[in-house]
Amino acid sequence: MGEEYSDMTIKINVNGKDYVVTVKPYERLIDVLRYKLGLTSVKEGCGRGECGACVVIMDGKLVPSCLVPAYRANGSKIITVEGIAPEGKIHAIQKALIDSLSIQCGFCFPGIIIAAKYLLDHNPNPSDEEIKEALEGHLCRCGSYLRFIKAVKLAAKYIREGKIYFDVKEVQSKIFPE
Amino acid sequence: MTSLPEYIRIVEEVFEKFKGKPLLYVGKHSVRWDALAKVTGKALFTADYLKLLRNVVWVHSVRTKYAHAYIKKIDISEAARYPGVLRVITAKDIPGINDVGYVIPDQPLLAHKKVRYIGDIIALVVAEDPYAAREAGEKIYVDYEPLPVYTDVEQIVDVKTLKEKTHTRIHDERDSDIVAHYKIRAGNVEKAMKEADVIIENKYRTPMQEHAYMEPEAAIALPEPDGGITVIASTQCPFDARKAIARVLGLPQNMVRVIVPFIGGGFGGKEDVVNEVGAKAALAAYLTRRPAVVVHTREESIIGHSKRHPAVMWYRHAAKKDGTLLAVEANIVLDTGAYASLGPFVAWRAIVHSTGPYRVYNARVDSIAVYTNNVYSGAFRGFGNPQVHFAVERQMDILAEELKMDPVELRLKNILRVGDRTVHGQLLTEQHGVGLEEALKKAIEAADWYNKRKMYSNQTGLIRKGIGVALLWHGNSIGVEGADYSSVSIIINRDGTITFRTGLTEMGQGSLWGLVLMAAEILGVPPSYFKIEQPDTASAPDSGPTVASRSTVMGGNATIVAAYKLRKRLNEVAARMLECSPDDIEIKAPEVYCRSDPDKKTTWNDVVEQAFWLGVPLQEYGYYRAPPARWDEETGQGEPYITYTFGAVVAEVTVDLETGQIIVDRLVTAYDIGKVINPVGAELHAEGGAIQGMGYAIMEEIIHDKNGHVKNANLSTYYIPTIKDTPEIIPIFVESGYKRGPFGAKGLGEPSVNGIAPAIVNAISHAVGIQFREIPLTPHRIYLEAKKRGLIRL
Repeated sequence: MGEEYSDMTIKINVNGKDYVVTVKPYERLIDVLRYKLGLTSVKEGCGRGECGACVVIMDGKLVPSCLVPAYRANGSKIITVEGIAPEGKIHAIQKALIDSLSIQCGFCFPGIIIAAKYLLDHNPNPSDEEIKEALEGHLCRCGSYLRFIKAVKLAAKYIREGKIYFDVKEVQSKIFPE
Repeated sequence: MTSLPEYIRIVEEVFEKFKGKPLLYVGKHSVRWDALAKVTGKALFTADYLKLLRNVVWVHSVRTKYAHAYIKKIDISEAARYPGVLRVITAKDIPGINDVGYVIPDQPLLAHKKVRYIGDIIALVVAEDPYAAREAGEKIYVDYEPLPVYTDVEQIVDVKTLKEKTHTRIHDERDSDIVAHYKIRAGNVEKAMKEADVIIENKYRTPMQEHAYMEPEAAIALPEPDGGITVIASTQCPFDARKAIARVLGLPQNMVRVIVPFIGGGFGGKEDVVNEVGAKAALAAYLTRRPAVVVHTREESIIGHSKRHPAVMWYRHAAKKDGTLLAVEANIVLDTGAYASLGPFVAWRAIVHSTGPYRVYNARVDSIAVYTNNVYSGAFRGFGNPQVHFAVERQMDILAEELKMDPVELRLKNILRVGDRTVHGQLLTEQHGVGLEEALKKAIEAADWYNKRKMYSNQTGLIRKGIGVALLWHGNSIGVEGADYSSVSIIINRDGTITFRTGLTEMGQGSLWGLVLMAAEILGVPPSYFKIEQPDTASAPDSGPTVASRSTVMGGNATIVAAYKLRKRLNEVAARMLECSPDDIEIKAPEVYCRSDPDKKTTWNDVVEQAFWLGVPLQEYGYYRAPPARWDEETGQGEPYITYTFGAVVAEVTVDLETGQIIVDRLVTAYDIGKVINPVGAELHAEGGAIQGMGYAIMEEIIHDKNGHVKNANLSTYYIPTIKDTPEIIPIFVESGYKRGPFGAKGLGEPSVNGIAPAIVNAISHAVGIQFREIPLTPHRIYLEAKKRGLIRL
């Protein structure tokens, strides 16, 4: 950096917690989340808003955090995968991804999970077409796409039945019976 | 005849013992070990480790501006003075050997005399933050002497004669730009051609395909107090990476440690490039004595790592009127780009499978890998097979049309069955497991082939449907490419839990879970007792690379050997405790009892504790090596692979002639994988392979301009399938049983790509009535062809 610039201090609320962070003017929200706050569920797959892996919910909107300059997030409320369920619990969409046997490399999962949660927050009973529409911007090279459709429908069912959160310990004990 | 090694006897004994028996864990649907870590975002991938580190330096690669040029001078002085820069590293700073070539030493880590493609690296800038590193990189000045740039193999060789053309040699340190040449000479092709009723001859082209794994390459190197280096890296092959890094640093291998966290997809792409990426991080850490980070951007990933070889293939098939194949002649030319990478091995796998899974007794095939100034090509799921399968399976359909035969009937007439010999003279016996006919029959039944084939014939509308079939085979593991071994360690801890170690890696495919299911089955202990450790060269045994669809087969056999030996020892301990015979001991942890008298019982933990005090070792190392393959360099005769995975794919498509748009409606895939170990993994492989194969068929192609620059080096210009493109996929499995596979299993990782593109293109050709010979079959190509033939008026 040859030119003069000054660091800036921003205030953000991430997953319900307030943070004060010093950022450089060219720093991105994804860098702050990953490296300053340690929220590495947020993944960088392309840095250009093309793969969907770094998507977070910012002030009620889905945004690729790699395209948001950190200072623009000043004063905003952000939700990442780390914050979609209370401590010791997982969200219905996380449970549904496990139940639909969709696990492969998992690098795209955080983006998929955030986008699916956002969809379900706005549409409690999405059709296959609506799910595809919502997840179209999320690339998965392992090819779990068909399982994602099943998982979102299953999560919608769980939520409609009032099962929004699942106890991690219970989930774990059911993963490995006996 | 020498007796078989113990490990082969154990694998065969386990196969016989469990054949047809009800199993507890193997073959059952289950949730894999890393599910919770992955859905909660807690699973750590390489770059995620950064959050745990302090005082790191960032490494930026300064790449060439020319794809082919001599380097006259490199001036780093201004960059070295840039604020925040700690060090600029060029070739002369490398303490060891400046080479990261995988098969042959043709690839400098840092270019010094010459650049050969647009990803070649001139210097590494090491700085306090990534921004300074990148900006300082702009201040490195290089004097180049540009040379002619070759981006098409046909500029280097004549595809018909395979003779090298006059050109400015790309590797002027070698005497030819043809890197490898393999041959098959079987029977009497000339005589067979004379006796043929039908001869068809075609030229095919397949594109350069990008892996597009979601996690770009990354490595973090940590200097150790003893002068060694630890590298955390996203690599499929930790032991190969260790070897390469040690060579670059000039260190003994035991001073370099490679740890592999979760990998965000590999598909073959994270084999050799990680030697480069790991070496860059290691070099920076070695020279600055601080933790050094390399994280590629998507663009760097696309221009800087290996691809699927583009291929130009010339094929001639001869047949009798009744469809019997008489002879195959072919030239297969693979563009390996600037460096050999795994190109020689890819050219070899391509030629082995070049005549398809058919009885072909007269053949003349040549396959070569040729240097160009394109991004280098190497390993990519399928490894030469998607290319030759496209050509062969198109040939079969064109031949069927010529003979007025149904494509399925033509194939049934020629497929390999038990008792047949391959084109290499390898006799396929019951032991190999040859379930091709069963796979084909199941696939066409599920796809309703005969009805639909009839229904979709002779359509005249602008929107047309088609159905197509393709067969495939895939030699398991690495054959004559190298020593074909794997290994694992199983450690039973004092509390009865189990530690599972291997150098085979988890990159999404989940095969380590299959290994645990097998160990669980043999030991009689639920999978929940196991902890799979991250691959680490400091603790895991050298397991060979995680490639070639070999983890389940080779790693599985090693697992069986270790688990079998432990089980045997524990049975003896339990027999002493319960006073019955070791063969009578049943372990169903936590319970252990005598089968003949279940009241005589104890617990798993008591047996483990007893074994400890008796001095019975509770840890075991499992090693397996496949019997050596045979290959005659002059004739291509021998036994190239231990066995083959077979399969059949049926594709259904809808084509809009006016827009050229293709919708793949449905893919039925039937694979003979010997025995399904982990059905979830098998289904996901079938689905994921189908989607990647579909991208290869109709969407994906890396394009270089005439200067060797990549025109589509990001994910908005290089299209891969999205959720909206994904068709219905119906996976079917056939279990023919391979005697020397774990529980009879064969590999599926790569075969799941081989048959997809030809099946889809056969379906499109059926729908449209045009025989296509090139992929990707993009809307543009369909539209132009439809227009040329007057099928549309636009």
